[in-house]
Amino acid sequence: MKRISFCTFRCLIICLILILGTTGCWNRRELNSLAITMGAGIDKLEDEDVTDQLQLTVQIVKTSEIKVGDKGNSSADAFWNARNTGKSLFEVIRGFTHQSSRKLYWPHNQVIIFGRSLAEAGIREHIDFFVRDQETRLGVWILVAEDQASDIFEVKPNLERIPAIGLANLLKAQKASSQTTAIKLDEFATRLMSKTTAPIAAFVKISGQGSKKSLLVTGTAVFKQDKLVGELNKTETRGLLWVLNKVKSGIIDVVSPESNGKVSLEIIRAKSKITPEIIEDKVHMKVDIKEEGNIGSQSCTDDLENRQTIKKLEDEKNAAIESEVKAALSKAQKLNADIFGFGDVVHQKFPKEWKELESRWDEIFPDLEVEVTVEGKIRRSGSSKKAVAPAKE
Amino acid sequence: MISYILKKLRYLKLLNVNYADDQKKQGTSEYGQSTPIKLSQSLEKNLIAIRNLIGNNFDVIIREFSFGDHINVALIFLSGMTDQSMINENIMKPLMSESHSSQNETLKIKDIAQIKARILSVGGVNQYSSYDEIIDGCLSGQSILLLDECNEALAIMTTNWKSRAVEEPKTESVVRGPREGFTESLLTNTTLIRRKIMSPDLKIESMKLGSRTKTNVCIAYIQGIANPLLIEEIKRRLNRIKTDSILESGYVEQFIEDAPFSIFSTVANSEKPDAVAAKILEGRAAILVDGTPFVLSVPMVLIESFQSSEDYYSRPFFASLIRSIRFLAYFISIFAPSSYVALTTFHQELIPTPLLFSMAGAQEGVPFPAVMEAIMMGIIFEILREAGVRLPRPVGQAVSIVGALVIGESAVTAGLIGAPMVIVVALTAVSSFVVSAQSDSGGVLRITFVILAGFIGIYGIVIGQLGVFIHLASLRSFGTPYLSPLAPLSIRDLKDTIIRAPIWAMFTRPRTIGWHDPERQEFRLKPSSPSEETKEQNKAVR
Repeated sequence: MKRISFCTFRCLIICLILILGTTGCWNRRELNSLAITMGAGIDKLEDEDVTDQLQLTVQIVKTSEIKVGDKGNSSADAFWNARNTGKSLFEVIRGFTHQSSRKLYWPHNQVIIFGRSLAEAGIREHIDFFVRDQETRLGVWILVAEDQASDIFEVKPNLERIPAIGLANLLKAQKASSQTTAIKLDEFATRLMSKTTAPIAAFVKISGQGSKKSLLVTGTAVFKQDKLVGELNKTETRGLLWVLNKVKSGIIDVVSPESNGKVSLEIIRAKSKITPEIIEDKVHMKVDIKEEGNIGSQSCTDDLENRQTIKKLEDEKNAAIESEVKAALSKAQKLNADIFGFGDVVHQKFPKEWKELESRWDEIFPDLEVEVTVEGKIRRSGSSKKAVAPAKE
Repeated sequence: MISYILKKLRYLKLLNVNYADDQKKQGTSEYGQSTPIKLSQSLEKNLIAIRNLIGNNFDVIIREFSFGDHINVALIFLSGMTDQSMINENIMKPLMSESHSSQNETLKIKDIAQIKARILSVGGVNQYSSYDEIIDGCLSGQSILLLDECNEALAIMTTNWKSRAVEEPKTESVVRGPREGFTESLLTNTTLIRRKIMSPDLKIESMKLGSRTKTNVCIAYIQGIANPLLIEEIKRRLNRIKTDSILESGYVEQFIEDAPFSIFSTVANSEKPDAVAAKILEGRAAILVDGTPFVLSVPMVLIESFQSSEDYYSRPFFASLIRSIRFLAYFISIFAPSSYVALTTFHQELIPTPLLFSMAGAQEGVPFPAVMEAIMMGIIFEILREAGVRLPRPVGQAVSIVGALVIGESAVTAGLIGAPMVIVVALTAVSSFVVSAQSDSGGVLRITFVILAGFIGIYGIVIGQLGVFIHLASLRSFGTPYLSPLAPLSIRDLKDTIIRAPIWAMFTRPRTIGWHDPERQEFRLKPSSPSEETKEQNKAVR
């Protein structure tokens, strides 16, 4: 203390006070000044007369309705769907200041839904804001609505209070069946930035009528560049996920080798590997899938507890998995959309040849030869060995 | 404001300079006065002089009598500080009866040394020849025996006054471990330490501080373990104290501490003899001050605040768990309100979504910003605590009930304060009691961090934290780095930080404290199953 002269001391104090002033409350916001956005739906208005053809629907949480202590007795909606139209997305978002007393707060946004017509017209210009802005996050789910995205937010979920959260949880639950592509913005944007790989997203539909409406997430929306070109059904989607190494769990039904009854096999773990090969200037792809599973249930009374039967079941399972992959492949080749990312794999393995292949990839892909090998195993049979039936003589 | 602070600082500097000058002058003048006034031969003259000095006090009793061959004597004592029965039985009775019963040679006793040697049946007797010594002795509870025609006086140790019995200390209660605590009496306190360490190496050196209170201050340490330089430094700092009063060990602490402007104390205090004994055995020195149950110990390191004597009495696993919980509680008590403020006003994106909903829901309609809430609640809590501590217990309870109701319930239902903030403040309050040794520094840090967080969020907390760490690393307590053994790192001493190693594994003393005679115990003391040899021996015995 003594060594510091008073001049330095004075300077130090002045500096400290000034530092506090300059940094000041530059983004200080109280919790009750935020409009917490849970979901965003982007649509293209079909009306030809309207100049502002871009419509954004945001789902904002009414925090006053979720007040702790009221044990869910309020029948009022805990959300508010605000709508605004404009020419560009950022302009539309700022335009909400005209109707919302609080500024939109994006970090907790769960889902981004594109309306079908907008997806068909192209989404690149609308994705940019969500990737660039510092408030939005890359961990948000991307979906495509079968019709208008704004309708999706009106459907009240049965278990959650806020539709967007219901939708996000729905997507999280999809890994139990592996029949829907649940994709987040970061991966979607990566695919969008690739020259060959086609972006994919989950499809969301409204099923039922009137008050019995509910949301259904199923299948895959396939984009070519940034335009929606087609969709995969459940089986094809799982075929795609096998190749992408994204199958976590799921059920495969096979026919019992003894009788005509069904045996359901549960997927426990799966692994896949894509190896490209260039033979005589022709590109071949090899997809190796390794799978392990259990017997989940059987609808027949057959005794499955012997090696031969298990082996036969494994073969049937392998064939089923292969057919799923083939179905996805043929659909993708028909749409000429490289949803598997084969192009990028070839790029990584053969960077020199890729320079030449890249421009021709659209011609190569539809006729690409893909060899699928599946190695499936059945490990356990659950808690019971025998079927729930009298033993056969 | 700045100019005001600067003015103060200049004033302090000036005081320092003047003090140094004074000290020089005093040094010379003290030596000039050092010849004390001697007693005279005449009892009458002596009594007049003593009456002039202390005679007009109501508790001073001057008893004049004569014995033997009409030898006039006077006994002077303070009625409240002496043992009356001892005076009657061991001083008056021998003097008077002896002289009457055997009237041969004792009559001729005119020599004060002979009274001391043959008549008085009391343990401690001193021979004084100056007024100063007599007065000092009398005021500390000794009885003074003046003899006619003798220029010396006897000071008889009859000291005895009412003091509190050894009780369980209020501040550091334990579940397992000794329950005795220090008392206000210095002699009891030194006895308590002596009873823990019955080694001739335990030295208790005494000095008197305070020109008017003349408080006894003792330094206790173990010769051979404590660093002699440390003892020298303590004595130097204690001798520096030129004040008129020392009423509590806190006075001494503030005169001798290394960093008087730091919020962290560099002198530890304890009310428990076992804790102090353990510290002395580690190589520290204890400073006992008469009139207070709080015993100081130096050097102090930060880790000490997280150690409790009970840690060493319970088994190491639970002790280590409790240690880490203490650290956690300390961090909660400092950072919980500021983190809450930072999260809710700057970094809402860091809060998990469902939690954000309930927090935002609770914050709905609350009129104040979160910083204001945190500061207000903090102040209200401190007020309640202070009121509860000072008031007699039944009234204190009433205060806490009213406070808990008003703050806990009504403020939330009235919508003045959000419920999460109440939870955060309550958690902070409870946590702040866990590490009581650092609760004062914790309180200052808490408020500082809340204000910093209110300005610039987590960034502010990080800056503040950095400042605190820099400050802590620069602190020294009697030559020992305050953050040791963590910084500078001493791997050997980590055995008693967050983890408390088993007693048999702690075979060296902390090296940052003393490092004289480092070995505490033998190396291989871990209990184990008997070796093959002893097994066979046992068999043979059977």
